Amino acid sequence: MSKIHVTIIQPTKIKVDQEYEHIIIPGVDGDFGVSPEHTPFITKIRSGVLQLFTGSKTEKYAIHDGFVTVENNTVKIVCDTIEKENEINAKRAKSSKERAEKRLKSSESDINFRRAELSLKRALIRLSLGSS
Amino acid sequence: MANLKEIKTRIESVKNTKQITNAMKMVAAAKLRKAQNNIINARPYADHLAEMLKTLKNKNVSTEHPLLEEASDKEKTAFIVVTSDRGLCGSFNTHIIKKAMTALKENPKADMICIGRKGYDFFRKHSKNVVHHYIDLFNEMDFSVSTDVADNILNLFLDENYGKIDVIYNEFKSAIQQNVVIKQLLPIIPSEAEDISKVDYIYEPDEETIISELGNKYVHVDIWRIMLESSAAEQGARMTAMDSATENAADLIDSLVLHYNRARQSAITTEIIEIASGAEAIEK
Repeated sequence: MSKIHVTIIQPTKIKVDQEYEHIIIPGVDGDFGVSPEHTPFITKIRSGVLQLFTGSKTEKYAIHDGFVTVENNTVKIVCDTIEKENEINAKRAKSSKERAEKRLKSSESDINFRRAELSLKRALIRLSLGSS
Repeated sequence: MANLKEIKTRIESVKNTKQITNAMKMVAAAKLRKAQNNIINARPYADHLAEMLKTLKNKNVSTEHPLLEEASDKEKTAFIVVTSDRGLCGSFNTHIIKKAMTALKENPKADMICIGRKGYDFFRKHSKNVVHHYIDLFNEMDFSVSTDVADNILNLFLDENYGKIDVIYNEFKSAIQQNVVIKQLLPIIPSEAEDISKVDYIYEPDEETIISELGNKYVHVDIWRIMLESSAAEQGARMTAMDSATENAADLIDSLVLHYNRARQSAITTEIIEIASGAEAIEK
């Protein structure tokens, strides 16, 4: 069976460079699966959980904001922040969640509000993965 | 005898200076290696984004996106000047500032955005219109730091109706060579297409959304790359400057030691003459 080559590129390093059988990506318009022979496809990624499958193994990553290119059985994901399940610092995520919530309640400007919203979203995704 | 002592203290102080410049050279070399690694690591990300942007532009997507569009009617320009925060790096900052001043002569009304303390200090003193400045960024180089800078610049570009924003920075050629470059940052000029994939992608949600988001990311990466290059170039410049300083100190020590020995010799000769003539006087 053919596989898909997944490359996850961060500004400071290449995080993943491996073959998988199937992956699920959180796109802006909803999660979507990529299997071999997927049609060429470009989309934006929203904050969410990225799942990579090989055999019976599943790897889960918390991913925030990026792009994905699917072409010719290769998937290239560019993103600023991505963490594997076991790399998530639950304590930190929890405290940043609380901080963001506090800021959302008392925010004056739009920009701060948006920032707080984004960081809250990130924290929630990290927590959902980190505690499982 | 006083002269001898003076030379001796002088030698000691030059030796101390030499030790310091030598240590600074070593530190710069270590930091340079790190900075070079950073540049290499940032390359795949930047390349991939550039490629995506190229493919999109080549599709002739009918976007009038302000980040990508050349606006000839807007005259307002700005220069981003990237210098170092610290000195003792040879002509690194001088070259940048000189280049910026020539650019300003052609464009006296241009605004300035300074990254790095040296440039900020200079342009503030010469009462140029510095709209933004960022100092002490190079100590903790992190992508999120450069993203903040890039976001500020993007907002400035969009809100204030700039026609063009140029960056003046030191490009890292090798450890001993830096080039001062002026590059247009905004509007974005995607690098010339070489072999664009002819694959017909499906875009989701649509081309316009992707291209505008991609434009932002592209600027983030560009600023990140420029800051990395500049910091690598700075360390390279410091390394060379400190290397020649160490060499100069060694030369100075050599000539001082020579002086010292001569002075010592003549002191001894005088002493011997004194003793000899004293002995002669007793004999008679």
